[in-house]
Amino acid sequence: MKIEIKKFGTTLVSRPAGKEAWLAFQPVLKEMPSGEKIIVDFAEVVVLTPSWADEFLTPLKNKFKDKVELINTNNPSIQATLSILVE
Amino acid sequence: MHRFTHITMNKLISIGQAAKLLGVSIDTLRRWDLAGRLLSIRSGPRGHRFYNQSDIDQYLKEIEAVALNWAKSINPITLNPDVYCQTRDFFQARLEKLQSELSKITSIETVSLITAVAGEIGNNSFDHNLGNWPDIPGVFFSYSIQNRKVVLADRGQGILTTLKRVRPELINSSEALKTAFSETISGRYPEARGNGLKFVRSIIVEGPFSLFFQTGDSQLYLKKDDVELNIKQTTTIIKGCFAVINFEELL
Repeated sequence: MKIEIKKFGTTLVSRPAGKEAWLAFQPVLKEMPSGEKIIVDFAEVVVLTPSWADEFLTPLKNKFKDKVELINTNNPSIQATLSILVE
Repeated sequence: MHRFTHITMNKLISIGQAAKLLGVSIDTLRRWDLAGRLLSIRSGPRGHRFYNQSDIDQYLKEIEAVALNWAKSINPITLNPDVYCQTRDFFQARLEKLQSELSKITSIETVSLITAVAGEIGNNSFDHNLGNWPDIPGVFFSYSIQNRKVVLADRGQGILTTLKRVRPELINSSEALKTAFSETISGRYPEARGNGLKFVRSIIVEGPFSLFFQTGDSQLYLKKDDVELNIKQTTTIIKGCFAVINFEELL
């Protein structure tokens, strides 16, 4: 399955927005066949901060672990966010 | 740097009066004079510094001064709706406006980083004060593309109060500021994460930016390639937070 992050917005900075995205996406995740890979696509996202990512990416990663793959992460705020989250 | 003149149509005021009006120390005004940020007029046999009342009035209208005054006053002025975001929705909308303004002058990469820093600092104010604003909710948020700066301020509880809930051993704003900018810590226990200001630091030290951040009686000045945190005590106290992001080096 592919999650197009831009569908949640292209300036993703706040915790409530991240939490809302996570909750809104639960029905889709529940219907997903187990074992399927989740590709998280950041194409066209302009701004990402750890606040938003903590509420969406962190639980996604905690739940699906190495089934999660991130793509199109070249944007510098996405890079900076991911390196902070990894620590 | 100063202007030697005895002839002026303007009312002159002493450095002490100017300091009082601006809410900064006399030393700060001397530094601003040397840096060309706010010029004095040397007058009298000993060349004392005086200021044109009109220069002070003008300075007070600048976004940085407006934000600082609003953040530190006991009875703050009512902010112009253009610079006041009472809720996160307003902040998000204006942040996207900043993003679009910035994209007219610089690359998408730089736009991304400046917007992320401003977004994280502004949202931090909401995250840590929601339901607990001491008097006025929300943030001051303004920017000057021409002067290459973004200014944010809140009248919240400040970093020390917020972090003390999870780190009771913190005793002053300097320690709290240092902790916030160097550790993953959240004042919103039991929420696990809190790395917003650490993220801000990681961007500022990498790029052509600088950041001035004050909370309580402590201020941090952070710039490109800084390894240590340069934290100083201030004479003026801000209960919440006050931040200036500079991107002067662009263009």
